[in-house]
Amino acid sequence: MPSNPLGLIAEVTHRCPLHCVYCSNPLQMAGSSSELTTAEWVSVLQQASRLGILHVHLTGGEPLARPDLVELVDAAHSAGLYTNLITSGIGLSENRLTALVKAGLEHVQLSFQDSRQSAADWIAGTRAHALKVDLAPMIRRSGVAFTINMVVHRQNLDHLGEMIALAESLQPDRLEIAHVQYYGWAFKNRGALLPTRDQVDASIRIIAAAQQRLSGRIHVEAVVPDYYARYPKACMGGWGRQLLIIDPAGKVLPCHAAGIIPGLQFDNVRNHPLQWIWRESDAFQKFRGELWMPEPCRSCDRRDKDFGGCRCQAFLVAGDAASTDPACSLAPTHSLIEAVVAGVNATPTSGENNVQVGEELNHFWSYRPQPGK
Amino acid sequence: MAPPLDSSQPRLAAGCRWSGEGDKKMLLFPEGALRLEGTGQAILERCDGQRTFQQIVNELQILYSASSPEKVRDDVGNFLERLQEKRVVDF
Repeated sequence: MPSNPLGLIAEVTHRCPLHCVYCSNPLQMAGSSSELTTAEWVSVLQQASRLGILHVHLTGGEPLARPDLVELVDAAHSAGLYTNLITSGIGLSENRLTALVKAGLEHVQLSFQDSRQSAADWIAGTRAHALKVDLAPMIRRSGVAFTINMVVHRQNLDHLGEMIALAESLQPDRLEIAHVQYYGWAFKNRGALLPTRDQVDASIRIIAAAQQRLSGRIHVEAVVPDYYARYPKACMGGWGRQLLIIDPAGKVLPCHAAGIIPGLQFDNVRNHPLQWIWRESDAFQKFRGELWMPEPCRSCDRRDKDFGGCRCQAFLVAGDAASTDPACSLAPTHSLIEAVVAGVNATPTSGENNVQVGEELNHFWSYRPQPGK
Repeated sequence: MAPPLDSSQPRLAAGCRWSGEGDKKMLLFPEGALRLEGTGQAILERCDGQRTFQQIVNELQILYSASSPEKVRDDVGNFLERLQEKRVVDF
């Protein structure tokens, strides 16, 4: 029998006032009329706790778009779960935050697109930046743990120092410097988002200096983007090993992007108990453990560290979900990643504010729309 | 960073709390959970925002009297300093 999951990523809606060009939501989003009801989420949260899950990460879309968010936090907290809100902040008022904290919310993770308002709003496809900056002191005062998440990529890495300075001024407990991961909308916009090697190298030095300078005040975390790493990321801590995702319509996934893998059926909490889906459903067993592994993973001494990397990336880049993640330098298909990396490195960035924001650039990106009904 | 001052009153940081009982007792924080060994648990359970660092060290020196008092003091200080870097403890 598999071990119990530790974390539940609850995508409570795909609705979002932002249209970020690297959104992790699938290209085909769940419409609002298909969303799980309050009662269905309450049942799921109770089942999650019984299954041994410790943390629930409420995300979306924008979770604040759900009018019943306080009830969901209350249900999670009452079930003993540690409750984390991953948000753009849009829809958060002082009253609502107070109600969420009273219901048991313990951690808020606020995302930023940039330190510069025009660039941030360009990436988000909406005017959200100034509001986020205004919200930070309110979150700081509320007594919850506060994390700022700075999403980094080719268009903003040249002023990473400025982004860290903004985060520092907002006094979070933690700062996550998160490279875009290339799935969903980010994969569609990959050519304009993937950084150059020079940018990645410079960012590693800037982050190390910030970690040292901010030690004891702000815990700074960052990960090298996997396109530039020697070994793949341990996606989700291994397939069906630690984490599960429930999408707005109740479909349970081992990884955000797993829906793109052909031939896999994902079961729904509307039809099956969560425990059965985790332990026995075909999708969760498909790449669990080591039996599915091809070479070079099967005999690799890192197989219990990175679990063969990401199945979704293997499908997206190499066309075969059961192959070694092409981000791995040992993968037979690694040349596919090298070719993409060579492509983006052919054009260096300017070293400063690399994009002039203007009307003519509105066709630069594929912005995610709102999901339908 | 430095270990706590004798007069400081270490406490769990915002968004960090205990969960479970006995063997299953764990410290939950935003990005994870710690299942602590005996000493770690003994230290953190005393980080209640009331006891001073000096008091915590005194209690641990009694609890672990087989080790030298200096070693216990250093270990407790280093442990709390590390957890403060992770933003799990404040002092």
